[in-house]
Amino acid sequence: MSSDRRGPRAAWRAVPSGLLATPALAWIALFFVAPVGLVFWYSLGRKPGLYQTHANDVLTLDRYREALGDTFLTSFAGTLRIGLAGTALCLAIGLPFAYWLAVKVRPHRRFVVLALVLVPFWTNFLIRTIGWQVVLSPEGFASRAMQSLGLIDTPFSMLFTRGAVLLGVVYNYLPMMILPLYVALDRVDGSLREASKDLGANRWRTALQVTLPLARPGIAAGLLLVFIPLMGDYVTAAVLGGARGNMVGQLVASQFQQAQNWALGSAMAVVLIVVIALTILATAAVGAACTWLLTHRRRRELAGIAEGSPA
Amino acid sequence: MSSSATRHAVTSARRAGAGDGTGSVELRSVRKSFGGVTVVQDLDLSVNPGEFLSLLGPSGCGKTTTLRMLAGFEQPDSGEVLISGAAVQHLPPHKRDVNTVFQSYALFPHMTVAANIAYGLRQRRGIDRAEIRSRVSEALDMVQMTRFADRKPNRLSGGQQQRVALARALVNRPSVLLLDEPLAALDRKLREDMQVELKLLQSRLGTTFVFVTHDQEEALSMSDRVAVMLNGRIEQIADPYTVYERPATAFVAGFIGQQNFFDGTVADGGRTIEIDGGTVLLAEPVTTPGSGAAAVRVAVRPEAVAVAEAAPDESDGSANALPGTVAAVSLLGDVLQYVVHADAGHELLARVPRRQAGRLAEGARVRCSWAPSDVHVFPAEATPRAPIGSAK
Repeated sequence: MSSDRRGPRAAWRAVPSGLLATPALAWIALFFVAPVGLVFWYSLGRKPGLYQTHANDVLTLDRYREALGDTFLTSFAGTLRIGLAGTALCLAIGLPFAYWLAVKVRPHRRFVVLALVLVPFWTNFLIRTIGWQVVLSPEGFASRAMQSLGLIDTPFSMLFTRGAVLLGVVYNYLPMMILPLYVALDRVDGSLREASKDLGANRWRTALQVTLPLARPGIAAGLLLVFIPLMGDYVTAAVLGGARGNMVGQLVASQFQQAQNWALGSAMAVVLIVVIALTILATAAVGAACTWLLTHRRRRELAGIAEGSPA
Repeated sequence: MSSSATRHAVTSARRAGAGDGTGSVELRSVRKSFGGVTVVQDLDLSVNPGEFLSLLGPSGCGKTTTLRMLAGFEQPDSGEVLISGAAVQHLPPHKRDVNTVFQSYALFPHMTVAANIAYGLRQRRGIDRAEIRSRVSEALDMVQMTRFADRKPNRLSGGQQQRVALARALVNRPSVLLLDEPLAALDRKLREDMQVELKLLQSRLGTTFVFVTHDQEEALSMSDRVAVMLNGRIEQIADPYTVYERPATAFVAGFIGQQNFFDGTVADGGRTIEIDGGTVLLAEPVTTPGSGAAAVRVAVRPEAVAVAEAAPDESDGSANALPGTVAAVSLLGDVLQYVVHADAGHELLARVPRRQAGRLAEGARVRCSWAPSDVHVFPAEATPRAPIGSAK
């Protein structure tokens, strides 16, 4: 059209740069915002009959009342416990490991260790979890080996307990904690740790005052990456927990699939989303308060030096 | 020479002030290797209290490793490290009475300038808040950074970060301050200003400074003594004047400033040296081991070489003189630098004050000459670094 050779390029430049994000935004709108909106909408409806999943002819909060019944709340409390304990365990195991990997392991060996961390991901999630069922079962090889060694007298009774679920989720989600922690710790310049020791701090004080504060974004990312999918996980719970490992995810799934009650399932899902969001906010608030308290003394001590005010 | 003597008097007076050995540093046959490569070998070094000592050398000479062994970041494979008279080679960094200014500054990015400076004081017991505050305030004042106390390091310029790093180390009042190429990242003008400031600060505080640098001008301008290092050994340790005027080895001669090197053989009972196309007269005869014509390397500083126009037919060199042709002329501020192709094949550098002589054009026939007292003679061992102006 245009004889000016720079025409198309100029036209391209006139395109707002936000356009580059359009595919991602469209994707999120279509497959995240819309479904969540629909779930919220269904949660205000009802199941009109045996062969229908939902109807919104009457808007009501009854499904929420139904959802917050005893079964759900018991299961919910258990889920929250597993979610918090699993996330905490992942942090407790992942943090020293990531520190070791980022600081102590020689750079050319790090990739080998990182690859080993990721090896379990090459196998299907379900198969890995069923693998644990084999290990934990009372007739399994682990149980028999320990009995023949005299370590235990009776067969394992670990399968189908909350402990087994906890073990399974820590196993499944640990890499999601290790990877962001490793990236964050790796980015903390080694000379900062040296400077801290040079200034009289031992290795613990260096870790608490320099390394961990600088790795905070990685810690936050790891906590989110583990906690959120863990709260919604029901495969691990179903395979390793049986009836006693009932998690909210299973209840929601059974409302949608077995009971065909989309309205009640949606209400449960919304409650789950709200509780996850509130837990994250509460954790963030606690974290911010801790940081504030820890740095409070430092700030008060040094406040106003720039203005040259007396102590 | 007289100014050198004065400097010595000043240093020794200060040394006498700190009689208890606080601030002294000593390395005794220290050896360190990494993965089979020896980086520091049998190093002996002694730094006096209140002294400004530079470790100078090319990269890989072991100067930074030596400093890191003083700080405690590396442990020597063998030998002893003494600080203020006490052996510290097994002490971790946080238990040593030294502080380091890092090449990268290593300021804590999550803390303000004031918190960075207070960090070292806060690690100690028995320092109350009021004292931390007054010492931080004092240290900020010392480096003129009080205005920036509440800033985070990433909002400071390189020079400002450098000052904070200096204050953060000095606020702890260490017996010895270790500086690892602290000025390397600054631009030239700022670096020169900081050299003067550092030197003044050091003489005011009387703290022992061990300063690592690869910049010979920096080492010469700031130090009481310079230790020139090569391949993990100290080639020469002396005050800057001696290092410059009487280099102990051909490497030191070539590394500090520039040199014209000639390879030749001793003749006339040690009074002269025969080089290609000429004879070098010596002020004092050299004694060489063995008999006959010993191979030697002769060094003459570019500023000791006089360049004079010569008649076109003059082509034979007399003693301490080489005929040649001007190959290039460049202006280095106050001095003119000539590159002269000698007829015998040498390439000579000569530097003359710009105002002193008229400028010679490229291609001019010249005669380069020097005084016997400006000649230094070294054994003809292979030097690891080919210095500028060497023959062939």
